[in-house]
Amino acid sequence: MIPTSTEEARAVEPSPQATRNRDSLLSAYRTEIAIAVAMVILGLAVGSQVPQALSWGNFSNITQAGAPLIIMSLGVLLVVITGGIDLSVGSVFSLTGMVTAQVMASGFGGITSSLAGLAVGLLFGSINGFLVTVAGLAPFVVTLITFAVAGSLAFIVTNGRSMPIPDPDYWLLNAGSIVPGMPNYILFCVVLLVAIEIFLKKVVAGRWFYAVGSSAAAAYLLGIPVKRTKFFAYVASSLLSSFSGLLTISYILNAESTAGASLMLQAIAAVVIGGASLLGGTGTAVGAVLGALMITVIQNGVNLIGINSFWQGSVTGLAILIAVLIDRFGKARRSAG
Amino acid sequence: MVETRNPVVSVKGLTKSYGATSVLKGVDFSVARGEIHALLGGNGAGKSTMIRIITGSASKGDGDISFFDPSGAPRTDAEGRARVAVVHQELALLPHLSVAENITLPHYRRGFAAVKKRLSIEKAFEALAMIDPEFAARSLHRLVEDLSLHEGQMVEIARALSSGAELILLDEPTANLTAAETSRLFSVLRRLTRETGLSVVFVSHRMKEIRQIADVCTIIRDGRTIVDRLALSELSDVAIIEKMGQVAASHSASSAAVDRNGMKGEPLSIREADLEITLSPGTILGVAGAPAGPATLISALVGAAQAKRWTVSRAGWPERFASPRRAAAAGAGFVTGDRTHKGILHSLPIIDNVLASRRVVRGATFISGRERLECVDLLQALSVKAASIWDLPATLSGGTQQKLLLARWLGLPSSLLVLEEPTRGVDIRTKKEIYQLIRQMASTGTIIVWWSTENAELLEVCDRIVAFDTEGCASGIIERQDMSEDRLAELTGMAT
Repeated sequence: MIPTSTEEARAVEPSPQATRNRDSLLSAYRTEIAIAVAMVILGLAVGSQVPQALSWGNFSNITQAGAPLIIMSLGVLLVVITGGIDLSVGSVFSLTGMVTAQVMASGFGGITSSLAGLAVGLLFGSINGFLVTVAGLAPFVVTLITFAVAGSLAFIVTNGRSMPIPDPDYWLLNAGSIVPGMPNYILFCVVLLVAIEIFLKKVVAGRWFYAVGSSAAAAYLLGIPVKRTKFFAYVASSLLSSFSGLLTISYILNAESTAGASLMLQAIAAVVIGGASLLGGTGTAVGAVLGALMITVIQNGVNLIGINSFWQGSVTGLAILIAVLIDRFGKARRSAG
Repeated sequence: MVETRNPVVSVKGLTKSYGATSVLKGVDFSVARGEIHALLGGNGAGKSTMIRIITGSASKGDGDISFFDPSGAPRTDAEGRARVAVVHQELALLPHLSVAENITLPHYRRGFAAVKKRLSIEKAFEALAMIDPEFAARSLHRLVEDLSLHEGQMVEIARALSSGAELILLDEPTANLTAAETSRLFSVLRRLTRETGLSVVFVSHRMKEIRQIADVCTIIRDGRTIVDRLALSELSDVAIIEKMGQVAASHSASSAAVDRNGMKGEPLSIREADLEITLSPGTILGVAGAPAGPATLISALVGAAQAKRWTVSRAGWPERFASPRRAAAAGAGFVTGDRTHKGILHSLPIIDNVLASRRVVRGATFISGRERLECVDLLQALSVKAASIWDLPATLSGGTQQKLLLARWLGLPSSLLVLEEPTRGVDIRTKKEIYQLIRQMASTGTIIVWWSTENAELLEVCDRIVAFDTEGCASGIIERQDMSEDRLAELTGMAT
């Protein structure tokens, strides 16, 4: 072992500057605070046109509509941090709903059916993880394949018909609230957000996600389990989109083969708005959640103001552009100063 | 042969092949506890491969590797490897993580454990402060992507020092360090070996450093052990070079022999405050000192960044190049010091790597068939042995890749060539060949500006040297007739 008190080390005590540089909460979440502020401004702008936008009922609409996207975005984030991409999340979302509804229709209870749905996530996550790590294929290609396959299976399960949920007391959402006064979907979002943020910041394996995304070659040389980390990321991503699919059918009470079709791009957009780089190595759970909320607020605003909903995509695109430009501009200034 | 008492690791008859090429053909190598061991050999001799096999990041062919604990009892490979730390030649850094985390994250073995942040920061600071206390105090929380190459090198070394390893393998650790940092590193290593029984394996092509730091040496050549554990005091420099198979063909032409009369071209003048250097065609200007100062001069010369400090003037040139592309078109060439990240185009074959600058300079729209012959000629002129010009650069050794970068400018009618550490990681024979090439280019009237952290080579080849102190300020110009190692060390603030 290296002795702790050495001549060299004693010569210079940690300077106050080193302590000052220690990231305060404010600077650590710079991007996230910026998104939150932008979102509040956007909300107020919509509210000035349509006062009901700022009503309690609308907040509840936004959170309910946004919950599935938030959960999916957290999964996509994990993959993006490792430098990968998961295009299959929307298809897994749809397939989970169809399988769960089909199993339920065959007479099984809510829990069994939900587990069957989550098994879809586990299966596709493992396939993605296996093909990326063991077969060494590019994440884009691998998840494009599973996107296509899971998407088509979602039609095959019921031959394209939508499935009603026969169990009205479906446990996830409608059977009261686990924490009194808080809808379950909010509880799930909060618990997952806190758990994933703590995992990414405070747990060694979480730091490995960043290490792998930062430089997989360096991480490998340093003895960090690159393949295991990537595999885990794809499984987590698929499982979270599966869970998100369950949550959705539990309050819509209907499973559609195309339910998740638009969600994949929205989840990737949410992660990017939240400050993650698609090149890997950066991103936070708080950012991804705020990004997903931002997209939901935009959609909600477009609806309320009464703009043709065909414009939603363009507005979301603009939001991504602004977010990325702010991020880039901020970085350039930081490295210059 | 010096007997290995109390070995940490012992390698016997190790072989390794990549496809049809066999890199190691039976290597013996052992390291004793508490010794500093120089591992010597030319580029491609198999040193890095052996290091990778010892650490487990490459698999072995035949042969044995055994690890031992301090009492001499054998250890399992996993136990042994857990006590080995490496400083890789191509830096293994995580750009998006902080300096502190880069140093300490790899030390955690288990994934589901809490990150002990305060402890990590203390450990990182302690290790980094051993090499550069000032840098440690300033940079612990910076992201590694914002560091320069040589700062990255210090992070790598600090990581090895803080790992608690019993054996540290340093694969050319000083290639990116200044003389002051190198001497601090050496004193740390010496103290640790003495006080804690740490063993160090040191790979370097710098003969002077090897003599300064190492006790014993092993020489590898073409995948075989030529000298197995011999005290360095028993070998002369000439003998070592000979054993490595590094005897250079001829390198008699000293720069003084270059005849500058009749060289055509405009002189170049470089100015900063009260310092002015005028370079006539064919001059080789050495730039010495810590990277901060030379970097400003180099970026001013090649238009790589907005460096306002320097004024460069030459008839027919603009005051400042807007981009490296403009500089290249005007005949100002540049060979980067960051070969891996900014030099070699890794996914393109050798031919595209060699011809990259020519295509820019000539501004050709279509790729002509003549290029192939030109590439073959250039490779021949540089004695690069490649199976095919369509192979990827990764099939060549680091030193050979360096030659590809030089080949980009060889034979082009450039009026200025700026070189950053062109001999980094290059073996002795290749170094001599590169010196020869630099002289050759100068003899055609090209002005050479050459930054190196190895003062000895600047003294050997340059006509003048401009020195920078550790603060990054130009501290003086030395003319050929006044050159001495002491004078240069004094001006660069690295007198030891």
